[in-house]
Amino acid sequence: MYFALTDEQRALGETVRAYLADRFDLTAVRAVFEDQHGDGNPTELWKAIGAYGWLAVCVPAEHDGLGLGLADAQVVARAFGAGAVPGPWLPTVLAGEALRLAGSDEQKRSLLPAVASGALVATVAPRGPAGRYDPSGVRVTADEAGRLTGSALPVEYAETAQIIVVAAVEPAGEVGLYLVEPELPGVAVTGLENYDGTVRTASVVLDGVPGQRLPGSSTAVFSDLLDRGAVLTAGDLVGLAREALRRTVAYDRDRVQFGRAVGSFQALKHHLADLHVAVTMSEHAVLYAAHALDAGLADCRLAVAVAKSKASDTAREVTAAMIQYHGGIGYTWEHDAHFFYKRAKREVYSYGDPVQHRDRIAALTIGRIPSTTVDGVPPTLAVP
Amino acid sequence: MDLTFTPAEERFRVELRAWLADNIPPRWRSRSFWSAIGAAEAFELRRDWERRKYDAGFAGISWPREYGGRGGTPGMQAIYDEETQRAGAPPTVNALGLAFLAPTVMAIGTDEQKRDIIGPMLRNEVIWCQGFSEPGAGSDLAALRTTGVLDGDEFIVNGQKVWTTNAVYADKMFALVRTEPGSQRHRGISMLLIDMRSDGVDARPLRQLSGASEFGEVFFTDVRVKVTDCLGGAGDGWSTAMLLLSFERGASGIAQYTAFRGQFDEIVAAAAAFGRTGDPILRQRLASRIVELECLRYHSMHILTQIEKGAELGAESSLTKLQWSHTHQELWETFDDLLGPEATLTRPRPDADLRGMQHEAMWSRSVTIWGGSSQVQRNIIAERLLGLPR
Repeated sequence: MYFALTDEQRALGETVRAYLADRFDLTAVRAVFEDQHGDGNPTELWKAIGAYGWLAVCVPAEHDGLGLGLADAQVVARAFGAGAVPGPWLPTVLAGEALRLAGSDEQKRSLLPAVASGALVATVAPRGPAGRYDPSGVRVTADEAGRLTGSALPVEYAETAQIIVVAAVEPAGEVGLYLVEPELPGVAVTGLENYDGTVRTASVVLDGVPGQRLPGSSTAVFSDLLDRGAVLTAGDLVGLAREALRRTVAYDRDRVQFGRAVGSFQALKHHLADLHVAVTMSEHAVLYAAHALDAGLADCRLAVAVAKSKASDTAREVTAAMIQYHGGIGYTWEHDAHFFYKRAKREVYSYGDPVQHRDRIAALTIGRIPSTTVDGVPPTLAVP
Repeated sequence: MDLTFTPAEERFRVELRAWLADNIPPRWRSRSFWSAIGAAEAFELRRDWERRKYDAGFAGISWPREYGGRGGTPGMQAIYDEETQRAGAPPTVNALGLAFLAPTVMAIGTDEQKRDIIGPMLRNEVIWCQGFSEPGAGSDLAALRTTGVLDGDEFIVNGQKVWTTNAVYADKMFALVRTEPGSQRHRGISMLLIDMRSDGVDARPLRQLSGASEFGEVFFTDVRVKVTDCLGGAGDGWSTAMLLLSFERGASGIAQYTAFRGQFDEIVAAAAAFGRTGDPILRQRLASRIVELECLRYHSMHILTQIEKGAELGAESSLTKLQWSHTHQELWETFDDLLGPEATLTRPRPDADLRGMQHEAMWSRSVTIWGGSSQVQRNIIAERLLGLPR
């Protein structure tokens, strides 16, 4: 039995954290956060992310990647969450996963090395307005010729990406994945202001745009891709939750009121202890889910749903407590607490919110009820 | 990452599973069987079964062979915890002795104590109870007032212990007693091994809110205990107790996971029988229970990994306790919500007997109190793991 990070994974996490502490701390995050009209992807940071190999983790070795898995990628995700790091790391890694899982040899050869090096910024468009993160939530259709029509939102870093992996419902009812170049006629990318300033989001509207199909794609691959997005997002959430808790504990150890450190009051202590338990359980859950997908364990879908719902609920509670237990200063713009709070809020709803994942858990453990939508098997597949 | 057990451990699982299949009567798996027979009969049944388990070589799984154990790995202990729960094996009647006293005796006992205590305990010839809590010393254990006054080569013990599991069935008690007159707090305490059949020992059952009497209270009036029946040094009882409680840290939580996951299915089946598994809000609540249960399973794999690495778990056992106890409690609250008014009726239908499940639901109120209340566990986590000031 070995359920823990390996020495290599620990070293990877330390390298990312050391880089961020040295070169991209929360002061740098703030600059991006407050520059709402910037592209949210600082050049030096992105270069470093590429140079260190943090985009190459899941790319196979034959395509210049490290050939590792999600258990390794979630280490990076956690460190990025802890640093509230801006930039298209997660959507680019996920686009790489789409290519790896469903791309043709030619598509992999031409694109995966660029994903691994950071030469390419890519993103994924899995969901349409007001949709779920499952096949029922796709609002793009593909015709027989592979022309795509419909819309997706929010798409992370669509304004920066050179390639967008678009999910589209095909004539036969399957969900296919298509590569779309944003410069093509018929593609409208419109930035959407996001209160989480550590990310940039946009809507993507397609009007008969020729997409390049990933030949291995299917509804099953699409669902798998969403699960991978959920695990990486959960990794970011648990990383930021751990950091928010650490910062709150550090503050409450020093902050004195009534002649004593406020962290000595049991009203705070007991809640902070419960949060420590919740963050620790979330860390276990994310590690297990990442491994379950890597190893194809029988319970991998349950594990993903557990990890995403647990990490989401935990991060929301911890980041709210971070504000509360800093008192008034925690509610100011100049304090860093709102970076964590707002990033958590966004990610809670990305790749399936806790309610959606608990629906899946219920279906997997107590059976389905016919009238509900579970794992993209809705009674009707409504596409506008 | 490697979530497998070794071939030797898996062979052990096969062997154990086969023995359990042959030695647990099917009717033992029904809750109504145990609620129908009396407590005394149930105790004797369990005691006898455990004796046979010893004879078959399935006692003291991870204990050294020199003490009659199997000399197994931590992985085998985890497999034992899992398989006995899966098979519906009755819980041990010697829980506190096996989990706490035995490893303490192995660590600091005299040769005579090792010889006289460990073997008979393993064979269930001697049932042990723990004498720590008193009416005025619960979470604040150092406030204990039971006294032992030295008289020649004996202590004369007077006082009262309470919440004593197995008080009326136990043959012996390991008890914390203040043996230095006038001593304060954690000084001047000794851990005495008291024969429950001695003159002056009066053990009475206490009825719990569940209706059962698993624990009791014990009164001591001029009870004579030989000075050689002191575990660890006289006056060093507090450090003996801390060592003893540290052995709780070997428990991974896998036994609780396995038991509670079975209870989840039992609850769902009961709710389905009443047509109550379709409500979307209740389904969300049930799913939340699975989230916490699965986290407990992952956590137990983490703990087992740490044990195998020989890491010092320290205050981390407080996380394990909080996670399993609150998961259990919320699971049974969900049972109530699922069944609604029927949840409070012992026989809501002629074919439905809910007494066993209701007992489990009532019992769940105790799990966040005994073995260190949740509030104490949170203090430990806050102070020792987070570094918050006292």
